[in-house]
Amino acid sequence: MQLTGKSKAALIIGLLPAFLIYTVFAIYPIIQSFYYSFMEWDGFSEMEFIGLQNFENLFQDPLFWNSVGNNIFVVIASVFGQIPIALFIALLLNRKIKGLKIFRTIGFLPVVLSTVVISLTWSLIYNTKDGMINEILRAVGLDFLAQNWLGDTKWSMVAVCITVIWQFVGLYLIIFLAALQNIPEEVMEAAKMDGASEWVTTWKITIPMIWDTVIVAIILCISGSLRTFDLIYVMTHGGPSHSTDVMALYMFNETFSNLQYGYGSAVSVFIFFFSLILIGIVKKVLGQKFI
Amino acid sequence: METTIKKTTQSALPLPQSTRKLSVKNTLIYAVLIIFSVINVYPIIWMIINSFKSEKEFAVNQFGLPRTLVIDNYIEAWGTANLGVLFKNSIFICLLATILTVLIGALASYFLARIEFKFKNALYTFFIFGMLIPIHATLVPMFILLKNLGLLNNPITLLFPYIAFHLPITIFILTSFMKAFPKDIEESAIIDGCGIFRIFWSIILPMSRPALATVIILNFIYNWNEFSFALVLLNDPALQTLPLGLASFAGQFTVNYGAQMAGLTMSMIPIIIFYLFLEKEIVNGMTAGAVKG
Repeated sequence: MQLTGKSKAALIIGLLPAFLIYTVFAIYPIIQSFYYSFMEWDGFSEMEFIGLQNFENLFQDPLFWNSVGNNIFVVIASVFGQIPIALFIALLLNRKIKGLKIFRTIGFLPVVLSTVVISLTWSLIYNTKDGMINEILRAVGLDFLAQNWLGDTKWSMVAVCITVIWQFVGLYLIIFLAALQNIPEEVMEAAKMDGASEWVTTWKITIPMIWDTVIVAIILCISGSLRTFDLIYVMTHGGPSHSTDVMALYMFNETFSNLQYGYGSAVSVFIFFFSLILIGIVKKVLGQKFI
Repeated sequence: METTIKKTTQSALPLPQSTRKLSVKNTLIYAVLIIFSVINVYPIIWMIINSFKSEKEFAVNQFGLPRTLVIDNYIEAWGTANLGVLFKNSIFICLLATILTVLIGALASYFLARIEFKFKNALYTFFIFGMLIPIHATLVPMFILLKNLGLLNNPITLLFPYIAFHLPITIFILTSFMKAFPKDIEESAIIDGCGIFRIFWSIILPMSRPALATVIILNFIYNWNEFSFALVLLNDPALQTLPLGLASFAGQFTVNYGAQMAGLTMSMIPIIIFYLFLEKEIVNGMTAGAVKG
């Protein structure tokens, strides 16, 4: 529809609220963090311009690189944990099967729960003394395998990643299932007529046909797990001895515990570009448009 | 009785090779699916069951049903965690943020989808870009901004980030839905003398009902579960939302598992019920939100 004279005002009235609140509270903070990242500032006293000093300090801090490494670990664990499990279960569910609805309902359930609830529940599960996992191990006589899962630097990251995987498998499961059910029946019928076994059909027809969806899921999985914060904040707070520290948590601690607002902003800027570039690269490699 | 006999005799007969193979395969498939489901749901059931046990019983009988239903944990959790206040705060902020986001977003989507104007595509891309912003990169500047505006620790503090960061996905879903309507809808309405907002309110909005349901559910669940902004922007215990309150409550209760489980169970139940009743809409909304986000 074309607009004339008077309705230009309507246009402004219609778009202004969204534009204002989005610009002020989503875009402006990003720009502000660029500005603060050049400052030394404790949040209260005068700011002092220090150029790139924050970034220099940042890149020299081994704890920062430790958090980047952990973050990448979470991303890799998520991609290689969530996607294959979800795809496998979705393939199993994609047939005439009794109880499909129940399996789906249960499969998606963790996705609707809040990360805080999930983190606290799994903290109890991992608990050394009375946690579910250690109790099960003791019950089957494998006492020696019982661990302080979240308190031991050897296991903490693995334990956290298992929870992350558990939380989101259902999301990809449903995405894959929807894609599988969109494959036209004739394709499958034709394959069956040609006498192709299910194994062959799955690899040669089914998976290639939903490959686009798999790529979308991988990108989603990367950008989602790159943002992990709540879960680790609640479960381990980055500990023990920084073994589960991730970028957002490092930033949070530097800013709000050590009161280095300028330095924290520099980390924010880094996270911003790191996410954009990583997702950009992945999309490029997997052949997708950026936005 | 008769049928059981019949069945046994039937299965006793030698099955053709292919059918037997099929049933082995089906059994395996069911076994895998059941294991997957148990892993998915047991942690939650484990917690709910154990929330009704006394500390003593939990230590010795973790996997059985509670011998007697102990509700002390619930009383303790409700009192100490201030769950009533947390629920009230969460409901208030979620409802308000969801309504405002969807209203403001729908209005903007209407213009972006149905009206021709200069810079329309640029403006649309500008909004959609928001889906790429990692929210944690904005925690620090958001804190400073709201502090400067004197909006920290206010009952409506969280409205600003919640609306701003959920507008992109809301606009994305609604715009693509509204674009699909046939062109002549507005034209006939204009001939009937309808103003532009009238068209929005009485024609476009009702027609967008399925997409509106999606974005309402999506916004509500995102807001209900949100933790990071609440953590950074709210200090006052009286204003805390459910996730924030639970996290700090669990911090104090490292010893009393029962109360912790009771608190978690209570906070989980409403969302699980909500999910069981609106499963289709929630699943559609959250997968659409994820795929497009």
